[in-house]
Amino acid sequence: MQRHLFKKALSNPLAMAGFIIILSVFLLAMLAPIIAPYDPDDINVKAILLEPSMQHWMGTDGLGRDVLSRMLFGGQISLLVGLVAVGISTAIGIVLGALSGYYRGWVDTLIMRLVDVMLSIPSFFLILAVIAFLEPSIINIMIVIGLTSWMGVTRLVRAEFLSLSEREFVQASRTLGAKDMRLIFTHLLPNSLTPIIVSSVLGVASAVLMESGLSFLGLGVQAPQASWGNILTDGKEYIQFAWWLSLYPGMAILITVLGYNLLGEGLRDALDPRSGSNK
Amino acid sequence: MLIGISLISFFIMHLAPGDITNNEAAFNPKASEESREQLRKLYNLDKPVIVQYGLWLQRMVKLDFGNSFKPHQKPVFWQTTDKDGNVTKGMIQEALPITLMINILGLMITLILAIPLGVIAARNYQGWKDRSITLFNFIGFSIPGFWLSLLLMYWLGVVNNWLPISGLHSLNYENLSTWGKFTDSLSHLIMPVLIPSVTGLAGITLFVKNGMLDVLNQDFITTARAKGLNERKVIYTHALRNALLPLITIIGLSIPGLIGGSVIAETIFAIDGMGKLFFDSVTSRDFPVIMGILTIGSALTLVGNLIADVAYAWADPRVRRGVVRN
Repeated sequence: MQRHLFKKALSNPLAMAGFIIILSVFLLAMLAPIIAPYDPDDINVKAILLEPSMQHWMGTDGLGRDVLSRMLFGGQISLLVGLVAVGISTAIGIVLGALSGYYRGWVDTLIMRLVDVMLSIPSFFLILAVIAFLEPSIINIMIVIGLTSWMGVTRLVRAEFLSLSEREFVQASRTLGAKDMRLIFTHLLPNSLTPIIVSSVLGVASAVLMESGLSFLGLGVQAPQASWGNILTDGKEYIQFAWWLSLYPGMAILITVLGYNLLGEGLRDALDPRSGSNK
Repeated sequence: MLIGISLISFFIMHLAPGDITNNEAAFNPKASEESREQLRKLYNLDKPVIVQYGLWLQRMVKLDFGNSFKPHQKPVFWQTTDKDGNVTKGMIQEALPITLMINILGLMITLILAIPLGVIAARNYQGWKDRSITLFNFIGFSIPGFWLSLLLMYWLGVVNNWLPISGLHSLNYENLSTWGKFTDSLSHLIMPVLIPSVTGLAGITLFVKNGMLDVLNQDFITTARAKGLNERKVIYTHALRNALLPLITIIGLSIPGLIGGSVIAETIFAIDGMGKLFFDSVTSRDFPVIMGILTIGSALTLVGNLIADVAYAWADPRVRRGVVRN
């Protein structure tokens, strides 16, 4: 069953393209210490704002640091933040959604009200406000993005649980005396995995965008630590002299987010029986 | 709902390490321990948290969000008149119309472009037009809006000098003729309005397309075709109206995103709207303003959802009758 789904996912061209993109971005970021031509934090006053050339493929920034090297190391941060933030939000979403969909009643009402409240506060404002009160750091950003984006997964898991609970195999298992935990972990959760995976992959895409936005505003990853977002901050500062500072990091973000979106949508097409058959 | 929102915004404020008088003192280095004590009294920080929340709620019901911590001490939300009759405009009062205007214009442009695109994609489903629109959607979903803004600022503003890159008016705005003022405002608005609407386009187009695909498969469309209506009439009067209904809800739901997104757009283009005000308040830790904007922003979302619900009922007779019957 699982292997079958996996095969199906790989045969979807969108998913495959997304997978290849993400894999290459990951490889480049992971190999940064080996392939980066310069130290990303190496300030060189003799090489300030150089245009892209053979020595510096992507030019240098306002402190003479090599942009390519900073992009490679910054990629590590951007990818990490995306994954951890989504890990947090998915974990919260699964727990709350499971509680809500399995136990129903006042637990459900309470959790759904909380979801409604969270959804009505503009999330970017919420994130900025929390970051303002805490210190901006990589850990805090991951936590804050995670804590403000669990609502979708919660609703999804709840809906899956509600509909699965009515299915015969779950009813049968319950009649045979299966305990709550057994029902949840062996029947309900495994059968809800597909939509959860799809939504987390798409979630990583928006988390990467969110992190780059925050870092761009100077409230995300802090200098001298490089991230794609904060290289763009320099890009804005030097926009009249150095187009390369703006062009490349944004392209990296675009490609990465595109990769995740393609993978997510491709997986949805491939794994969702409703949309899979007619495409 | 509102109580939940107020609770969350209130407790975020109390996440702050230390107490907020530290920040007040930071604005004014001469602040002594005594004056800080006074401030704590003023903001009721010497009382227990629950009492503080109650007092804050009490003021919020009257829409009194207090004054900014900045030296100008402007009121956060609405104008106040002091005893000499001088009116001081509220910070949100000044910023909100700008943000609303930009977002409403942007939304209109998005809809004007997205609806035809969605219809085209649905009618040519799996054809090359559909595929290119899908590709465009994927890029639209993935492109960081602020990066697009930077590139266009560079290309249109720096390289070619076609459009101004910041603010809402030129420096010589006051001296321009009416027409000059109009074109000046327009040229300042083009980028801040168009860029967010291009990035928002993807979602709405996809939504219109899926809605159309659903509707086109339904029986009443087959009936309409069977009775010999021409295709144009089938698409535009029968199908489109039904496909657009759920769009009302989607627009309502997208309001928090639009308000949130204005932070980056307004910061880049130096426009004094809600987003930039919020960003400035966050970086200077101007707590009353942050709290005020969080609350007003969420209230706007609720109002938006309410309007969407009412509009839905207005547009869909089935819902309307249901409401009346109940």
